Amino acid sequence: MKDYLALAPQYLAAHKKKTRLTILSVVISVALITGVFSMLDALLQFEKIQVIHDYGNYHIAVKDATDEEMQAIGGRIDVKNTGRWKTLGEANINGMTCALGALDENFTENLNIEVIQGKYPTGQNEIMLEKWAAESIQLNLKVGDTVNIAVADGTRREYTVTGIYNDLGNMKAQGIPGVFLSMDDAELMPAQQNVYLIEFKGEADMIKARQQIQTSLNIPEDRIGRNDRLLAVIGQSDYKAAVGIYQIGGILFFIVLLAGVVMIYNTFNISVMERVRHFGLLRCIGASPAQIKKIVKREGLTITLKAIPLGVLLGMIMTFVCCALLKFYNTSLFGDIQLFYISTIGIIAGIVVGFMTVFIASLLPAKKAAQVSPVNAVTGSNDIKVSKNKKRGLLTKMFPVEIALGMNNAIMKKKTLFWMSCSIAISIIMFMGFNVFVDFMHAGLKTNKPYTPDITLTSKQGISEELSARAAGIDGVKKVYGRMFGYVDATFDAARLSDAYKESMGGIEATEGGLFTPSASSWLISYEENQLNWAKDKLMAGELSEDKMNTQNGIIAVAANASNGRNANLQLGDKVYVRTPSGTKEFTVMGILNSVPFQDNKQNLTTFITTEKIFTELTGKTLYDALDIQLSSKNQEQTVAAIKGMMDSSINFLDSRQKNAEIDQTFLTMAIFIYGFVAVIALISILNIISTMNTSVASKTKYLGVMRAVGMSGKQLNKMVLIEAITYGLTGCLAGCILGVILQKQLIENLLTSFHIIWKFPVGQIVLILIFTIFVTALSVISPLKRIKAKGISEVIGAL
Amino acid sequence: MEILTTTGLCKTYGIGETKVEALKDVTFSVSKGEFVSIVGPSGSGKSTLLNMLGALDFPTSGNVFIDGRDIFTMNEEELSVFRRRNIGFIFQAYNLVPELNVEENITLPLLLDYKKPDQQYIDEIVDILGLADRKHHLPNQLSGGQQQRVAIGRALSARPAIILADEPTGNLDSKNSKDVINLLKLSVDRYNQTLIMITHNHNYASFADRVLNVEDGIVTELGGAVR
Ligand SMILES: Nc1ncnc2c1ncn2[C@@H]1O[C@H](COP(=O)(O)OP(=O)(O)OP(=O)(O)O)[C@@H](O)[C@H]1O
Ligand SMILES: [Mg+2]
Repeated sequence: MKDYLALAPQYLAAHKKKTRLTILSVVISVALITGVFSMLDALLQFEKIQVIHDYGNYHIAVKDATDEEMQAIGGRIDVKNTGRWKTLGEANINGMTCALGALDENFTENLNIEVIQGKYPTGQNEIMLEKWAAESIQLNLKVGDTVNIAVADGTRREYTVTGIYNDLGNMKAQGIPGVFLSMDDAELMPAQQNVYLIEFKGEADMIKARQQIQTSLNIPEDRIGRNDRLLAVIGQSDYKAAVGIYQIGGILFFIVLLAGVVMIYNTFNISVMERVRHFGLLRCIGASPAQIKKIVKREGLTITLKAIPLGVLLGMIMTFVCCALLKFYNTSLFGDIQLFYISTIGIIAGIVVGFMTVFIASLLPAKKAAQVSPVNAVTGSNDIKVSKNKKRGLLTKMFPVEIALGMNNAIMKKKTLFWMSCSIAISIIMFMGFNVFVDFMHAGLKTNKPYTPDITLTSKQGISEELSARAAGIDGVKKVYGRMFGYVDATFDAARLSDAYKESMGGIEATEGGLFTPSASSWLISYEENQLNWAKDKLMAGELSEDKMNTQNGIIAVAANASNGRNANLQLGDKVYVRTPSGTKEFTVMGILNSVPFQDNKQNLTTFITTEKIFTELTGKTLYDALDIQLSSKNQEQTVAAIKGMMDSSINFLDSRQKNAEIDQTFLTMAIFIYGFVAVIALISILNIISTMNTSVASKTKYLGVMRAVGMSGKQLNKMVLIEAITYGLTGCLAGCILGVILQKQLIENLLTSFHIIWKFPVGQIVLILIFTIFVTALSVISPLKRIKAKGISEVIGAL
Repeated sequence: MEILTTTGLCKTYGIGETKVEALKDVTFSVSKGEFVSIVGPSGSGKSTLLNMLGALDFPTSGNVFIDGRDIFTMNEEELSVFRRRNIGFIFQAYNLVPELNVEENITLPLLLDYKKPDQQYIDEIVDILGLADRKHHLPNQLSGGQQQRVAIGRALSARPAIILADEPTGNLDSKNSKDVINLLKLSVDRYNQTLIMITHNHNYASFADRVLNVEDGIVTELGGAVR
């Protein structure tokens, strides 16, 4: 040893096992911080691309902008690109309904419009239309063909198709093609909507720029539109919902930072008392506090130099997994993002927090050793207070000795108990906090449901059962399910009508038997087996059984009424009387659904679901209004061609596949990261418990040896250590769950109000957390215990 | 009657360069009620021997029989029960449980056996040890000598058949040391216990019925004081 500073690496080498555990805990914490922050960074990059793909690349829009306004805005130095966008309403192109619009050519790329064939319409009587529509049987158009377009006011003109552009999922699903006219032509027509879209330069302060534009040009708020999602993703939104999310993000990422600090600190704290003794000893032999500080700093450096690169690497790997998943899933959209996404913010956060905490945490015992007299530091442990004597006497009387000892060990060392619990609690708080994002994601983003069709066939004349059977027979068709829609006059106990409805009707008179005369018809929908099954998700009461409904005249009531809230509040067992040409029929409410995924465009009284058999009995109708088809994933084009082949021209073919895929993808982009966050946090929390429990057991090696020498059996030893560990686990769980629930409630109720998420007491999460914590805690003490027990007692105790 | 017998006890630490033969073919036996002291130079293997006798470590070869039972054939579970009922340890470094007070430390072996401590007996030990007014103190509030006495109390509380003591007076002044030795002798005589004690002090060795000398891992009988 050349100089006293060599003590640091020597101490670490002498306590290899302990050092390894310390390094592990620093690695875990740094990985947590680096991982979560880089994932956030990557999430924003991916989300930006996704949002631009879904909503277009513009930041704000000005409605009905005048030429002067456009000139003023377009000339601004912080504006990158601008374009006019006009919607001209529905029109009829060669007999097919279409949506007319016009867009400045320089802005097409911003709105993801891509000319695949021909050229963009710029001259008079030129149009461009969607690829699927051009290829459809109804239109069958090529570049250069002429078409007839009749607009709403009845005027009809001839146009030349100059271009064909990419499919838009939404339009395709509705079966209404988007048709672009040249801007010059559009200027001459009355516009339904006329907006001026603005893309700012990336570095612009967009909130300020918008305010400047508004004040200098005197544009009122109602003429300003915002691309909220894009602004939110790039952090330039002052929209309430986005600000709420920023705040939640801020709070959660602060908790992550805190968690990193607490985890590192806790590991250091476990061995603090020992270190105080060690430093006291050094002081006794003449080391000055400054020298000790230096030794500690050297130690910290050695640990961080090993731990931080590992932690950063681990954090980056987590991000890499998320990025890789997304890139793999959607190469075309995310092709430009590098696979190894390196987030400077994440790495810096990890390094800074790691360094700072290690130094602070390792300096504490040195400080303590400097504060107390060296002799006290060597002999005394100030951690244990005498005042608890009486209570402890009680413990040994109340419980078997090993349990009392275990609890005693945990409770006596107040500080250790506190930091252990903190370390576990903060993991739980983090986990519960990030779960808010899961709720947010499910509430804020559309998802495809099991009943979402790939293809829908509709027809005014109706679709026969026979056609449905034929469709089902086509290779590659997974499921076919049809629906009939109709209206019936239905009445029931007038007391079931809602007050609001009665009021809006100017009061409703109950007739004999408590019934009433319906003012509007009720909407009747037929469901077959598949749809009844899927509806179980929305079932609030009763059951959905086709057989029972058919044999016992059952009917399903739907609680929500899409257009005007809740008109009626029917209960299970209520009688519903439906007028039919052959007299009134009585039905019993057998189930109540929360809502149905269809919207009626008429004002109906309420909605009922029946079986196909009953529907036909009531209305005489046998043909489906809509036939939904789900395809298996293979050879879809072939299947689609076969379906098209069997339809006649009276049937509309609506293809929702692109739209579904886009919805899936939008959801997935978010979900991979949100679930990534939750998974990373859960994983880190588990690792943290394992590492702290390991450290805690390892620091008791000698104590456990003495216990064995005195005659404690292996089983008693297990129980004692387990009880101690579980005491830490339970106090941590308790504190974590209480604080986590409060945090969740606050976040959802105060910051996510605009998303209408209902806060529910997270019973499931708490049960999961409890089971996991106890299980992991128990598991994580077993292996170090085994290791200790495998050693000879004298070896563990050291010098006898 | 022989309470403890060792046959061909060998212990080798390490391998190759660092190989140390700490015990070489140790064979001797101790009768019930005997006071045996072990002497020898530092590093000769005394503590190693004591560890083997108490099954705190396992020999490389050889056996130890206590009360006719081969202790190394017992499994860990049996051994721990056997240990707390039959063997009392006194360590040179006390090794008290820092979280437990004096009384709890002393009664620990009984508690581990789920027995209710015989309060009268415990009080008697505490009195003899001069710890009556320290009963509720924690180990770190005691002097070295007091801590050693607590360790002795712990070794006596379960009234084990054998007491193994590794330099119990190592940290004590001569008066205290004499008290401790007297106390041990008293207990051994009163309860017909067997005491095996390592000491560097030949004065104390002379209290013993027999003295074993350890040198370089080899144990020889020195012959003891007159009974
Ligand atoms: N765990 C171990 N690993 C390697 N060698 C050991 C170990 N324990 C003891 N030794 C060696 O075995 C020999 C005997 O050690 P032991 O502790 O029995 O000596 P001792 O007679 O008790 O000495 P002292 O009187 O100094 O306490 C010594 O040379 C020591 O270096
Ligand atoms: Mg020794």
